[in-house]
Amino acid sequence: MAGPVEAARIRVVATLTDVADLTRNVGGDLVEVQSLATGIEDTHGVPMKPGFIPLLNRADLLVLVGFGCEHAFLPALLEASKNPRIQYGKPAYVDCSRGISPLEVPRSTDHSEGDVHPYGNPHYLLDPVLAKVAVQNICNALVALAPEHQVEFLRHRDDYLARLDAKIIGWQEAMKPLQGAQFVSYHEHWPYFAARFGMKYSGTIELKPGIDPTPRHIEQMIAAMKAEHVPIVVREPQFPEKVPSLIAKQTGATLVKLPIMPGGVPHTETYLDMMDYIVRALVGAVPK
Amino acid sequence: MKIRELSGLCPVLCLSAFVLQAQAQVQETDQIGQLQKQLKQTQERFERQQREMKEEFERVIRTQQAQIDSLTKQITHAPAPAATGASPIQPVPATAVTPEEVKELSGKVDQVVEAQKKIRPGEFNPSIGLVGETVFSYRTRGPGQTGADRAGGFDVHQRSLELNLAASVDPFAKAYVVVNAAADSATGEATLGVEEAAFQTTSLPGNLELKAGRFFGEFGRLGYIHDHELPFVNRPLALDQYLGGESQSDGLQLNWLLPIPHFVSLTLGVGDHFGDPKNNPGDRRAFTELNFWGRLSTYLELTPDWQIEAGISGLWNPKTEDRGGAQGQPDGGTLTERERRVAGLDLKVSYVPLRDNQFRSLTWGTELLCSDNRYLFDPNGSLAPSHPSPGLDGDEFSGRIGSFGVYSYVTYKWSRQWSGGFLFDWVQNAQDHHDETFAYSPYLTLALSHWNQVRLQYTHTGHNPVSGLRSDDAIYLQWAWIIGSHSHGWQQR
Ligand SMILES: [Zn+2]
Repeated sequence: MAGPVEAARIRVVATLTDVADLTRNVGGDLVEVQSLATGIEDTHGVPMKPGFIPLLNRADLLVLVGFGCEHAFLPALLEASKNPRIQYGKPAYVDCSRGISPLEVPRSTDHSEGDVHPYGNPHYLLDPVLAKVAVQNICNALVALAPEHQVEFLRHRDDYLARLDAKIIGWQEAMKPLQGAQFVSYHEHWPYFAARFGMKYSGTIELKPGIDPTPRHIEQMIAAMKAEHVPIVVREPQFPEKVPSLIAKQTGATLVKLPIMPGGVPHTETYLDMMDYIVRALVGAVPK
Repeated sequence: MKIRELSGLCPVLCLSAFVLQAQAQVQETDQIGQLQKQLKQTQERFERQQREMKEEFERVIRTQQAQIDSLTKQITHAPAPAATGASPIQPVPATAVTPEEVKELSGKVDQVVEAQKKIRPGEFNPSIGLVGETVFSYRTRGPGQTGADRAGGFDVHQRSLELNLAASVDPFAKAYVVVNAAADSATGEATLGVEEAAFQTTSLPGNLELKAGRFFGEFGRLGYIHDHELPFVNRPLALDQYLGGESQSDGLQLNWLLPIPHFVSLTLGVGDHFGDPKNNPGDRRAFTELNFWGRLSTYLELTPDWQIEAGISGLWNPKTEDRGGAQGQPDGGTLTERERRVAGLDLKVSYVPLRDNQFRSLTWGTELLCSDNRYLFDPNGSLAPSHPSPGLDGDEFSGRIGSFGVYSYVTYKWSRQWSGGFLFDWVQNAQDHHDETFAYSPYLTLALSHWNQVRLQYTHTGHNPVSGLRSDDAIYLQWAWIIGSHSHGWQQR
């Protein structure tokens, strides 16, 4: 296996499994992608393991979600990595959010708004159309790093986007019965997804991103959900099941467990598999 | 004879010169031909590349057109574009926008752009954070009986008000400053002190990083962590005893990340002091009066959720004659420290479940410190400053005292807000290893948020028969808050 091709591979470190999968698709055999997250972590809570440091130290490219998604672990890891090439602002620091206008940008950068979404909501990758922007950003970075492989990268990108486009049409078709359907979730993961597929996002169990709910907030949420007949409670497996299942029970809504990045639940190892899973699970949750 | 030979050689030489010249001419024409051939090849290659590029360009245009077509198709399927909010790559059908609308829109964009063109004198200001820490406590006994530095009974201690400033210096370095208005334990009066003010390189080659200035030198695990970031209220006794609290130094520290796939970090430092008060160098400081320290640390992943971090540290101050001077002993003699040697072993075992580590985790941390200092013993106390004529009088002798101390703690976190743990402390006095102190402290922490934390701790400190200090029970309520910028560096993780 370890031939000259192996040696010449571009070493990519991706923060989360979604951008890792997209990079694998654009880079193909020319890249070796390692993801800091395995998929089951919270997108804002990947543990800072010393084992990540040598990976980052040798990386040719760092691919991240951006909008501060990785703020809790990436800055310290980057400092310790002692790799000047992948530091913030360098060409090999690939922020996939480039070119995306964020939703829910806080009116003030103040801790009264919690701390995990200071630059707006970073969970844009749950909208497959915006994932295409990420793909393009990754492709640009790979071409800039290895222009000699431009043709391959562009071909991979086009192949992947074609597959993704075909999937998007299918997902939109499948999600038609959920047009206007309301749902709540634990963390504010789903505004881009809801906008894309015409669902109505009715709030989060968390008080603010990264701040646990108060009993009063839960009470108010239950009352509002009952009044509005909200049929779905989305539960991300990173968060405790107790409160979401209590709310679902009290309101009669269906509890749906959804991954927030590839690998979050079994059989969602790629981005396309994950989106398939999410669409299937939601479609299965509403009564026909 | 020689001339004859030469005359015979002459025609030969002439002939060979002619032949050479002819050869050169042939070569010249050959070279021109080759150059022409090369030029033709280059031209062909250029034309071929141009053709390929054109084809590739056309192909890309075709693919992009196909994407645009597919996206346009999606838009007709998709919900109202206003609801999507963020989809910069969705093309808008050209027929949908009138030139007037475009003009109006570009006017608005210009306005926004103009509004952004402000002069911001504060743009390059460093990030600023402020940490406040108040400790409410109740102790059964006063400092006269326990050796503690705070009053017995009810006490409120505004332990620190810490100002953190940090920014990049230039593309090659950053700097940070920690200024602390710590309250004097006796008077309660706050005095401003520079805890750290250091310059740190960011792009040295060879995986190196240099720190210079005043900073907490790397020794063990909790020595270089600020009070409010400790997992419990007070600094472990062993760190107080052997390092003198925080491992502050004015000096230089070089860190090297070994260029291997496994994490191994090596730090070496030199400074004028380390933790404890500065040496008094007198007129001139010898090289041996500096402090030298180092730490080697590594990491082992047992499972994706369980890991071990371990390190060994060493501190050496070869000549410490003037560090604290001659200290009076209970038996009337004095003790003068002449050399300081401390070694440390630190271990952290942690369970950090990948899935829900914000809600559940376990940390077991232990640090073992050994001190092996050399002292000048003076049984009759002739060196005591209070002596009428302090000086050597012949009874003095030199010797070493070995001692050690340990602390070990377990913290379990069972929700985003709640965690609790138990700290065990045991330490020998570096100047008298028969003088032992032990303490234990259960603690409970409520992190209302990342910037607002309350901790309740009970500490029992045992009776010390050698020093005669009485046992003590204390209850602490520590409240720490942070405003402004606050980022955890790698060391504080
Ligand atoms: Zn989030």
